[in-house]
Amino acid sequence: MNQNQSYKWTFLALSLGLIALFILNISLGSVQISFSTIIDSFLVKSSDFSNQEYIIQNYRLPKAITAILVGSGLGISGLLMQTLFKNPLAGPFVLGITSGASLGVALVILGSSVFGGFLATFLISKWSLVIAASLGSFLVLLLVLIVSSKVRDTMAILIIGLMFGSITAAIVSVLSYFSSAEQLQQYIFWGFGSLGDLDWQELIIFIIIYSFGLFFSILSIKGLNSLLLGDNYAKSLGLDLKKSRFIIIIATSLLAGTITAFAGPIAFIGLAIPHLTRQLFKTSNHKILLPAVFLIGAIIMLICDSIAQLPNSDYSLPINAITSLIGAPVVIWLLVQQRKMIF
Amino acid sequence: MLQKHLLLYISVFLLLFTNCKEDKGIKKPLPATIKTSLNIDYAKGFSIKNNGNFKVLTITNPWPKADKNYRYALITKENAAKTTLNKDEYDGIITIPIQNIVVTSTTHIPALELLNEVETLVGFPGTDYVSSIKTRQRIDEGLVRELGKNEGLNTEVLLSINPDVVVGFGVDGKSKSLNTIKKANIPVIYNGDWVEKSPLAKAEWIKFFGALYDKEQQADSIFKSIETSYKDAKQLAKTVTNQPTVISGALHKDVWYLPSGTSTEAQLLKDANLNYLYADTEAAGSLALNFESVFAKAKQANLWLSPSYYSSMDALKEANPHYTQFDAFKNNQVYSFTNATGATGGVLYYETGFARPDLVLKDIIKIGHPELLKDYKPYFFKVLK
Repeated sequence: MNQNQSYKWTFLALSLGLIALFILNISLGSVQISFSTIIDSFLVKSSDFSNQEYIIQNYRLPKAITAILVGSGLGISGLLMQTLFKNPLAGPFVLGITSGASLGVALVILGSSVFGGFLATFLISKWSLVIAASLGSFLVLLLVLIVSSKVRDTMAILIIGLMFGSITAAIVSVLSYFSSAEQLQQYIFWGFGSLGDLDWQELIIFIIIYSFGLFFSILSIKGLNSLLLGDNYAKSLGLDLKKSRFIIIIATSLLAGTITAFAGPIAFIGLAIPHLTRQLFKTSNHKILLPAVFLIGAIIMLICDSIAQLPNSDYSLPINAITSLIGAPVVIWLLVQQRKMIF
Repeated sequence: MLQKHLLLYISVFLLLFTNCKEDKGIKKPLPATIKTSLNIDYAKGFSIKNNGNFKVLTITNPWPKADKNYRYALITKENAAKTTLNKDEYDGIITIPIQNIVVTSTTHIPALELLNEVETLVGFPGTDYVSSIKTRQRIDEGLVRELGKNEGLNTEVLLSINPDVVVGFGVDGKSKSLNTIKKANIPVIYNGDWVEKSPLAKAEWIKFFGALYDKEQQADSIFKSIETSYKDAKQLAKTVTNQPTVISGALHKDVWYLPSGTSTEAQLLKDANLNYLYADTEAAGSLALNFESVFAKAKQANLWLSPSYYSSMDALKEANPHYTQFDAFKNNQVYSFTNATGATGGVLYYETGFARPDLVLKDIIKIGHPELLKDYKPYFFKVLK
């Protein structure tokens, strides 16, 4: 309990930082909007809103919320994967969740020309991408887990994850060979990742599925802490290993799957945020790590998005470039500073 | 003007001269020293020089920033017997008029049609994209071989049909399949119509095909009539004073892609006397702008042309509800060429748009100033439903 006490102020500071960055993120963008207009757009209800109010309410606000969900969700799913596989290199990308999701999306965007017919009508709906990405990531992760229960060596599991990634990449390239330029374009743009093209309706679904993922992550905290001590020790503590593994996988595929579905494959965050958090908090207790990863993930993502928007210019950068450009040096610096990796 | 006349005289003289010779069967050495150039007014990517008994076709800009010129000797069968050409000097020696051809882009098809050479086409990659009725008919009869994909031509089939020339196009000249074909001694000419910077320059590439078929005069007069028709339309558009505002392109994720002010699309909008909101921008490719900035600038635009690949208002709405906030969307003033397709789904604009800028211009004038072209029926652009 004492330990928790000492983190209280850190958490308070991080939460305040998150709120400040959220407001900053909303007030920055290509179009200069005064702070009073931003306040007005939330407080004054008018039926005939101006361009600026529309931008705030229907573009910047959903984008900022998406950034929080993506940053925190990917951070948490990375944390879960690293603990489950006891491997600091693990993350949604390494284990094929993202490739599973891209296979799902590729089947929807590119496959409509191959399969045609009734499938094509289903495929037009905007939810089809989300469903396909979630299913794809869930199936790939499940496969990795089934195979991983057969092998003892954790390195082997990583390699198996990479192999699944190669298989899906191969299927995607066959599909793209038979696709039209427009479809390819659509698929490639999906691959860039983006936070800013969700409307409120999509965002609400996103939040609901995300909440389920978060709920399962919280459920798995105890199991995660026991897993850190090794499988045998966890068993002796009375942990149902299979069940907690399953919960962890459900949580990860819900989080990483929906995020990839709604925002595309966002690089780096899933791998780096857990490391960053461990270095800052110097603990491996998931009771502390999970909320800390949530806050730091959200904060980093908001910062990255604010930079990517290139405030006051007409252009913006792809979010994936920024996450890696800004994030990777920070992690390297931290590791060098501390001279010791906490895992 | 004087120069033009002089050229005409010289070419007529040459024509008579060669005709005479053929008739009488006199073997006289041809005057190889007379060098004239074909008149090219707009296109910057190719030139044709007449060297007396053969012509030299030079492709200077097959792709943006090409570092090398490609030179081809075009020679008639009769002259080929009498002339020795240094093979190393040229990227290909082509006997004209060519009897069979493989083209690789639908933009090449209209030139064959206009020059009445449809029956020389023996192969095409992606025949489903071809919409023109005459060529379609020949494809359906199995007279045009399917060659697969442009980026990976079916080399075996292509070698087996052994065309006189393959008109390819490359983004960087590194196409492996085209290089294989070159090695098999089938001349490959890179067509750079898509690199040209103005609508008329793109259309002028019909003269390139004219040279291959030894139909330069015909190509010249076809282009002249297209040019006149374009200029007339432009003049007509100038007669009105109101300039509706125009937005173009659409969002890909949260980035809005739209043609820059120097693009051919922007030139067409200007010639149609419309106010394209991004007319003052300069960029080599398309502009990639943040959603907010486009929204703030173009929400009130009167017209919305070419919203990417979307083919209906519902598809636009479904893709992104932001679109519904634009005035052009609310007033049903969204126009696209994606719905004007041929029998097998090829988009007409992609096939014929380069060759007939006059029709594209008239389509746009009809949208922006419908009172000017009351009885005109648009070829490419249709209002989105």
